[in-house]
Amino acid sequence: MELEDIISRYPPRQVMAIPVAILALALIILGTTYYSSGSPVKLGVEFTGGTLVTIPATDSESAIKEKFAGYPLADVRNIGSRYMLQFGPMNDVMYGQLVSLVNSQYENAEIRFMGPIYSQALQQEALRYIPISFLLMAIVVFIIFREPFISLIVIFCALTDILIAAAFMNLTGVKLSLGTVAALLMLIGYSVDTDILLSMRVLKRKGTVEEKALGAMGTGLMMTSTTLAAVLSLFLLSNLLYLVVPSFTRMDIIADISTVLLFGLLADMFNTWITNVQALRWYFNRPSKARRQRR
Amino acid sequence: MSWSDILKEPRVAFYVAAVFIALIIIFPVPTEHGWDSRLKYGLDIEGGSWLQLQLQGAVVQLDVDPAKILEMQFNASLVEHHGDSYIVDVNGTVPEGLAEDLGYPGAKMVQRAGTTKVTIIAQPESVIVNYLQSALDTDVKVVGVAPVQYEIRTNVTRESLNGLLAPLGGSVAPGEDAFMEGVTTSTVDETKKVLDSKLNRLGLKDIKVRVVDNKFVLIDLAGVDVGTAQDVVGKPGKFEIRIQTKGNETVHVLYGDSVESVDIPRGDRGGNWGVPFMLSEEGADAFRKAAIDAGATKNPDAHEISMYLDKDEIFSAPLAPELAASLQRSPVRNMEARVGSGDAGSLKAKELYIHLREGALPVNVAVIGSGQVTAALGRQFKMQMVIAFVIALLAVAFMIYYRYRERKIVLPMVSTSFSEVVMMLGVWAAMGWQLDLASLAGIIMVIGTGVDHLVIITDELLRGGEAVSLSERSIKERAEAVADREAEKAEKEGKAAGPSGKVYLARLSRAFAIILGAAATTIAAMFPLLRMGFGALTGFALIIIIGVLIGVLLARPAYGRILGHIMAD
Repeated sequence: MELEDIISRYPPRQVMAIPVAILALALIILGTTYYSSGSPVKLGVEFTGGTLVTIPATDSESAIKEKFAGYPLADVRNIGSRYMLQFGPMNDVMYGQLVSLVNSQYENAEIRFMGPIYSQALQQEALRYIPISFLLMAIVVFIIFREPFISLIVIFCALTDILIAAAFMNLTGVKLSLGTVAALLMLIGYSVDTDILLSMRVLKRKGTVEEKALGAMGTGLMMTSTTLAAVLSLFLLSNLLYLVVPSFTRMDIIADISTVLLFGLLADMFNTWITNVQALRWYFNRPSKARRQRR
Repeated sequence: MSWSDILKEPRVAFYVAAVFIALIIIFPVPTEHGWDSRLKYGLDIEGGSWLQLQLQGAVVQLDVDPAKILEMQFNASLVEHHGDSYIVDVNGTVPEGLAEDLGYPGAKMVQRAGTTKVTIIAQPESVIVNYLQSALDTDVKVVGVAPVQYEIRTNVTRESLNGLLAPLGGSVAPGEDAFMEGVTTSTVDETKKVLDSKLNRLGLKDIKVRVVDNKFVLIDLAGVDVGTAQDVVGKPGKFEIRIQTKGNETVHVLYGDSVESVDIPRGDRGGNWGVPFMLSEEGADAFRKAAIDAGATKNPDAHEISMYLDKDEIFSAPLAPELAASLQRSPVRNMEARVGSGDAGSLKAKELYIHLREGALPVNVAVIGSGQVTAALGRQFKMQMVIAFVIALLAVAFMIYYRYRERKIVLPMVSTSFSEVVMMLGVWAAMGWQLDLASLAGIIMVIGTGVDHLVIITDELLRGGEAVSLSERSIKERAEAVADREAEKAEKEGKAAGPSGKVYLARLSRAFAIILGAAATTIAAMFPLLRMGFGALTGFALIIIIGVLIGVLLARPAYGRILGHIMAD
């Protein structure tokens, strides 16, 4: 089936069933995680609090575990030539001992301690600022289009992209960190780019909605696929390079950001060229008096 | 139209000038360490450690009767308030010195027929302050008149204060603003100043101390591991001298505020380190009195002098015999704390010196976050980031080539995108801001939207944005026909589709309507993040905002002109 067929052949309502089903699936995934863990996405150590240590080591995992047996070690992961250790809460004295143990035994240690006050403040800030961020975006979209329906669709698509990307985070085990918060917000930018392109073209040009949507699609798919190409290369680079070049480390922040963007951009392709296009088709082709009067 | 004409176009001229200036700014210049760019990197790339501290404290309004406080403290039968003094009636006797211990020197005591009348000269506020200070073991300051506000410089909650005041029939005043977490701006400034000077004495090159929300202090330290940083900063550094009385018992002699000045630590030939310091006159008197009372002047070895930093003993030694002898005669103001020998002694001396010199932090601090990245690891991150950049840029270039198949388009597009990065780095270097991992992620984001926008411009200019290259289906043909009709119409009007043509300008302005809209939404979404996460995402949001502005105001208009010029060739 050609994409063009979807755009123009089937009735909008029928096609719209697919994005609605996908959105429902994403919401179910987020809801299940919320039910089991208390938040819609799994929270990383920045939001839960704890200590993260990465050390260069060639020892076996059990040797590492043994070495840090006296501390509340919660997780050990091999990330290339290094191990990443995650510790649960501990008091100042124990943390001080851990720091001196790590720094005396390993030369290039990375240590991050996020106390409960810090992580709780961070959670509150994320809950406060991310909606504001989204709201400001929505206001600007309304100002640009001055058409409630078209603006709402653009905003809906951006929101859906974020929800789908967040659902994929749960499926792939990517946790919410400052990096992935940044990535989810980057999605706002990328997602709105193509939706604005589409809506502007449909709104400001002459011709049928289908023609204009198809014209925009060439440009829009190109835009998303260039970004996707960059993101995909970052994804592969950050996840695989350390396996090929032993001296490299898995870069968590890049790996997490690129995973979120990868799924978010795929969702965006879908939402722009299926959801948004069909909504516009339905809106402009609907037999309405108001519409006819405007023409 | 030649290439020199295109440079006269103001948009292009501005753009070229901006790129040129940015290149000059970031181009490496010879310094004492070899060739160095003006670009500065954040701790997560450069290596170093960071601390996030919370200043514990609250500014509160209280409903409590000072007379009740005195009644409880003196176990009094009646307390009367006359003018600026309180008269406390107590059945029986009042222990000698109780009033002084409670913070009322100069209180008059008159005993008559089994009762004692204590006259205290004090304002109501100072009674409350005195009480809170001793009950909470911290500093309390009056920071506001009408309504009277007290700054409590330790970790308290509304509930804990209410609990403390309940036996006195008092409480925190009702209302949200009667209990505010955090301390006053002047206390924050004072704390910051003490921290600054404490840290400066460590002799580090690059220290940043920032205050967030009047209660968080963020400190970045290059070239120190997190353990050392935490030791120096995290402790308030309350210094106390005590003297051994009998057995293991000690009594208080003086606090750090009696230390008037400190000399730099010095080691003798045997490698023993000492910190010379001078006591104030009152401090010297108190020291002499305590030494004589304890019997240390007669028998120094049985009565060691110990120094405590935050209740940890850091030093304990008997009085030197000659010092003991002279103390017997008169107060001595110049002393030296001998802390030990070798490297450990040197380190201890340095630490003691810092704490004696800078005194205590005005408020209690709690370390809420900290971390370190070593320089070698940072270099590795930086290299991996550069590789990521190059690969991402190559992937983008490949996609553009795949789509447009023309070097004439691919080259300007990729170099415009690259020039945006150069300009962003230029702004960053000129402002002296640090590039951290978050701002590098922001640059990647700007490259992404930047290329998106260049694609929009290119498609609008090349095909009027109507045609698609998906397949040769009829819709496409129809779309092409639309474009052709448009071009024909333009030709009929005697205008060429070149860079100055009407069609060209119309297409360019259509492209910019889309681009400006998209840019505005991105900027709007980034604005709140400037403040989020103790500034953790500030670099990310800021570089995106600046990068998008550079893109839509400088680079992309110029690209539109240049592309128009290329098309006309």
